[in-house]
Amino acid sequence: MIAWVVLVALAAPELTISHRRVDTADGVALALYRYRVGAQPNDSCPILLVPDLGFTRSAFDFEGKGLARALAETGRTVYVVELRGQGKSGPADSLEKLGTIDFPRVLEVIGAPHLDVVVQGWAGSIVLAANADDPRLRKVVALNTPLLAEVPSALAERFLLEGGHFSELGSSPEGRTVFDELFALWAELDPHTRSAFLANGTRDLSRPIANELLAWMRTGDLPLPERSLVTRLSSWKKPTLLLLGLADGFAPPEQCAVWRERAPGPIQLRTFSRVETGDDFAHLSILLGRRAPTMVYPRIIGFLEDR
Amino acid sequence: MKAAIAFTLVLTSCANLRVVPLPAEAERHRPKTSDGWEISLVRYRPTGAPTGRPVLLCHGISANERNMDLDDEHSMARWFASRGREAWTMSVRATGDSDRPDPEKGRTLPIRFDHYWQHDLPTAIEHVKRVSGADAIDYAGHSMGGMIAYAYLSQGGNGLHAVATLGSPTRLDWGTGLESLLRTLGPKVVTEEMMFPSRLGASVSAPMQTWFDDGPFQRFFYNPESTKPETWQRLVVYGTADTAGGVAKQLLEVIDTGRFASFDGRIDFRADMARIHVPVIVVAAKLDRVAPTPAVKDGFRALGGPKKWLLITRANGASGEYGHMDLVIGERAPAEVFRPVLDFFNQHEPPRI
Repeated sequence: MIAWVVLVALAAPELTISHRRVDTADGVALALYRYRVGAQPNDSCPILLVPDLGFTRSAFDFEGKGLARALAETGRTVYVVELRGQGKSGPADSLEKLGTIDFPRVLEVIGAPHLDVVVQGWAGSIVLAANADDPRLRKVVALNTPLLAEVPSALAERFLLEGGHFSELGSSPEGRTVFDELFALWAELDPHTRSAFLANGTRDLSRPIANELLAWMRTGDLPLPERSLVTRLSSWKKPTLLLLGLADGFAPPEQCAVWRERAPGPIQLRTFSRVETGDDFAHLSILLGRRAPTMVYPRIIGFLEDR
Repeated sequence: MKAAIAFTLVLTSCANLRVVPLPAEAERHRPKTSDGWEISLVRYRPTGAPTGRPVLLCHGISANERNMDLDDEHSMARWFASRGREAWTMSVRATGDSDRPDPEKGRTLPIRFDHYWQHDLPTAIEHVKRVSGADAIDYAGHSMGGMIAYAYLSQGGNGLHAVATLGSPTRLDWGTGLESLLRTLGPKVVTEEMMFPSRLGASVSAPMQTWFDDGPFQRFFYNPESTKPETWQRLVVYGTADTAGGVAKQLLEVIDTGRFASFDGRIDFRADMARIHVPVIVVAAKLDRVAPTPAVKDGFRALGGPKKWLLITRANGASGEYGHMDLVIGERAPAEVFRPVLDFFNQHEPPRI
């Protein structure tokens, strides 16, 4: 039995992760990571993952586990990008540039004729809205991606008013409570994952980004070139799976679900609740919670595999 | 030994199984609808000088008036009365102490959601107005009780001055696994001509309600962080009502089609809610798994206004997270739900001095 397990392990295709720097036209360095399993992965339609504001690549690959690896194991080439202001990328001074400069540049560097995209939260709304007409985008999975923005709560407002400093949340019980309320409410999350992600998987928002995000929430829309974010997403036509965690306190489901009826394209909606999936899934636990690999990942894989 | 433990458990669980009677000051009224059903109303006169209009309170599906008036400590009705508002609870037909179906007396099945907004609510409103002398009254509806108000007002109903809906959905198609189950099983199990025996299920399950910390009832209906299991158990014992098959079928249609509509499909309540200009405060619970926040927000967006959105969550200052039933029986609901509702009512009409 042991020999069999060893043989299977040795025979399993190896995962390789590579990193490259991508420079944008305005001189910002972005971090792009590639996940491949085996010698001949399917490069014809890779999958690009985009974490939310304040999150990093760790949202999709944390301590050897996560959606990036799960998708790569299906034989697809997977990319995770850190847009400006995220992870190891350069600083951000404008939300719009995430969608109008960074994301198109990453698509150019990847060079695939078609690709699928998995996005989360506010960053997801921006990149999808700014690139809604890009013919290279095939299918989209959107995790708690708001259409009609509002200030989610008094606590979220205070967090942004104070600058969106994730690094300060881990240093006190009050800070950890704020993190839990906004990102891990009632989450089925390993305590180590919670604290280690807060310490290593987040990055402080810059003051301009925190201010702009708050202004977006307060006004309900984000100006983008020619057409606003709401206008652009309201004409969305690509096949999309919209996954909603009820417990998301940062990008609440009630701001996202309305996308299904506003957009003319086929948007499948799947809402998770503790009744059936054992977790209401908050912003973090929908990706790294104990139940994400069995309840969330298969939905994403199934949707992206369905040709 | 095992038998002794089981016996002790049952005894402990049964301690809450008695019905807490209404207090002496509760006045019972039974107005009759135009189609022949007596509707049970309970009136609480205001403590001290009246501070505003009477408030009518209506429960949700499979429930009765005791949802809004469980006992001394868990009673939206008595809380409003103690703040100077004449408070009334109502039971829609075939629930609580309202008339049951009786074909010999012309009270036949099916009962549909449309009966509630076309007959029961208007009858209750007129009765409260007549008895109190008010020209219009305030209203709070929990879950389906809020949907009844939405339907009534969207079709031009009058007599309501300001409204609160608590956990009231206007869409139920959110892609949950439960919907798939209801879509599949519902049409096979539910017929229009039946009364679904929810009370029997409640009676059978009542002794077990306090046995589990994180059982299916906690997950679906309430949050032990906000409601004591013993409080929930009392609600199960005497706050549950049989469910009319016709009502269940109409709500299954809401799940199936995404439309909040009349039984014949001709009236689109959600579309018509844009015509509602009575002030409405829409209250949602962050961890409501019966009427999830997108379902409640859908109704808020449909309203013509003026309107206010209130999300109960720790992130907005609540002391715990709320589920569906916590909005009316939660231990801190008086401060965290009833108070903002009363403030909203008062804001739309300054208290009488």
